[in-house]
Amino acid sequence: MSKPNSLVMPLVGAVGLVLGVTYGWTARDYRDGEFEALTAKVAQLQENSDLAEAQVDEIRTLGEEKTAEIAALQDKIAALEAELAAKPEVEVAAAAPETAPAPENAGGALIASNEAFGDAKKGAQVFKKCQACHQVGQGAEDRVGPHLNGIFGRRAGLHDGFRYSQDMAMMGNDGLTWTLETLNAYLENPKALVSRTRMNFAGLKDPQDRADILAYLRIFSDNPQNIPEAAPTATPEVVLSQAVLNIEGDPDYGEYLSSECTTCHQTDGGDDGIPSITSWPQEDFVIAMHAYKSKLRPHPVMQMMAGRLSDEEIAALAAYFEGLE
Amino acid sequence: MKLNRRGFIGAGAAVAASLSAPMVMGAGKPRVVVIGGGAGGATAARYIANGSKGAIDVTLVEPSRTYYTCFFSNLYIGGFRDIQSLAHSYGGLATQGVNVVHDWAIGIDRDAKTVSLAGGATLPYDKLVLSPGIDFVDGAVSGWDVSAQNKMPHAYKAGSQTELLKAQIESMPEGGTFAMVAPPNPYRCPPGPYERVSMVAHLLKEKNPTAKIIVADPKPKFSKMALFQEGWATHYDGMIDWIGPEFGGGNVEVNADEMTVTIDGEVTKVDACNVIPAMKAGKICEMAGITEGNWAPVSGHTMESRIDPDIHVLGDATNQGDMPKSGFSANSQAKVAAMAIRGALTGSKVFPAKFSNTCWSLIDTNDGIKVGATYQATDEKIAKVDGFISQTGEGADLRKATYEESIGWYAGITSDMFG
Repeated sequence: MSKPNSLVMPLVGAVGLVLGVTYGWTARDYRDGEFEALTAKVAQLQENSDLAEAQVDEIRTLGEEKTAEIAALQDKIAALEAELAAKPEVEVAAAAPETAPAPENAGGALIASNEAFGDAKKGAQVFKKCQACHQVGQGAEDRVGPHLNGIFGRRAGLHDGFRYSQDMAMMGNDGLTWTLETLNAYLENPKALVSRTRMNFAGLKDPQDRADILAYLRIFSDNPQNIPEAAPTATPEVVLSQAVLNIEGDPDYGEYLSSECTTCHQTDGGDDGIPSITSWPQEDFVIAMHAYKSKLRPHPVMQMMAGRLSDEEIAALAAYFEGLE
Repeated sequence: MKLNRRGFIGAGAAVAASLSAPMVMGAGKPRVVVIGGGAGGATAARYIANGSKGAIDVTLVEPSRTYYTCFFSNLYIGGFRDIQSLAHSYGGLATQGVNVVHDWAIGIDRDAKTVSLAGGATLPYDKLVLSPGIDFVDGAVSGWDVSAQNKMPHAYKAGSQTELLKAQIESMPEGGTFAMVAPPNPYRCPPGPYERVSMVAHLLKEKNPTAKIIVADPKPKFSKMALFQEGWATHYDGMIDWIGPEFGGGNVEVNADEMTVTIDGEVTKVDACNVIPAMKAGKICEMAGITEGNWAPVSGHTMESRIDPDIHVLGDATNQGDMPKSGFSANSQAKVAAMAIRGALTGSKVFPAKFSNTCWSLIDTNDGIKVGATYQATDEKIAKVDGFISQTGEGADLRKATYEESIGWYAGITSDMFG
């Protein structure tokens, strides 16, 4: 019995030694790892702290700039109010109705100073036609139609969270951006610019109404001072003279010309990827083609195809397609 | 006025009697024979038959009963379409009054104005339309001829060749090499080889992501080059090695038995190889004696051969000027030819020729691009008027819309061709 014992004890000792040494190494490795992690963390915290300081500096600078800006704006308002006071016949625009208050404080002054552009006060009245579907001003939200804050410069059909018609989304993808010119064309005849827009509105035929409403909407833009103060082009190209609209199209010629269209547009009315153009009312067709020709509508293929069609050729095409069943 | 094309065909017989046929003496309806049932020939046959409302006899000679469109066949390779979606029959043309004959045209007698068919028949014509597409120039790629096309497919006439190429790419070993020998100008579908490279890359990225693609190209520049190269860097970074002529891409030899491609003296073992040789007009043009060099020269006003005014040539086989060789171009040219032929045979109104072309290409899922132009006929050639091309850096929505547009175009042009 003693013999095995005398063997076991040194064995236990040896194993213990090995285990001890191994533990020591492992523990050392572990502590080294912990130390490295802590060092890294301290460095990280230092970096965070530096960053935070930089941010605080930045915010402070920004704050100072904004204060200066506010002061400048207040001066401007005061100057404009003085100017207005000197012209008692111009009613200071409490123009924006309660439902759509002008943003911030500068609105009234801007309206009054931009009469050349259109009368925003009158525009606010005209906008009542739009209010069933569109909100504009502080707190405006998407309703049946998207809200119209910052509409100038906005890409058509891409305003987040609003579900647009397929055609409006397509126009946006093609590059349609809302400017004085495109908004004017859209307001004049929505379907001429965007064929199957969901905006169920016949259009404002009176150019003054459009100028006024654009002046009104301009107030709610992010940078109204960047929007030119000229009236929208008096006769935008999409508004066609009666003479052009009255051209009697030659359907035979239209049939030949249409063969260029039917390479892409399916005559059976299918519209996957490319819209159908059969049974389209003649006048809408003519206006739409002219909108491409004048590059108000954005699609590059259509701009190119329409670009080389004469007024007579567009009329001939319209006559042919209207007659197709 | 309500127009209805199909109604007119029904009424055609009655109308025909009252129409004059100024160019055709003697009794009987004027006869048009169309050889080749692709984008040019099928469109021309359909437009002449429909437009003349039965006043012209139209016979279409096409050996295949099923036509596989070359356009969109790259999308089959990429896995975006199945092969059946590219298949079209000629039943629609037959019901619209076109006499469809599935046979090979083997000879044209321009003096007798007849076409002889492999089956033994002889077809007389007043006007002949040739739309045979392309054939390959013998000896264009050293080491390759059509007897090697099963080992190294061209897949530049769609159908079994396309299926073969796809099967070979799919069975490449892991990390294997796919090579393409790109053709010199001018050739069918300028962006085609590069859309194909994109589609092969798409397929390999899914099934064999460590595989490599080598493209040996004799051209320093190719169609939509910046757009493709941007797309390749974005979607298939490091996978595609395009070797232009400055690095020996024009000095190529292949060995189909050894499956090797030698570029500028450097031999590479490959696992699949797509050889797209230099092209020329379909053989029948040469047999008719209306070619100069590799192609058939035509007048842009009517698409008439400059060698024989009773023969109109369409599409890839022509030398016409500025238009690219594409299905869209052939379809556009067919309409001008159909109008000119109807005018000559029945006295119908003839208007100035207008042409257009747009080529869509797919780089990866929902990443579509396009290039296009309009053209007009001058006495000298078909001349470009205006054009556009997709831009690099376009947004994903626009690229997706462009791809969707191409699907609409496919539906449009195939129904324009086949009814």
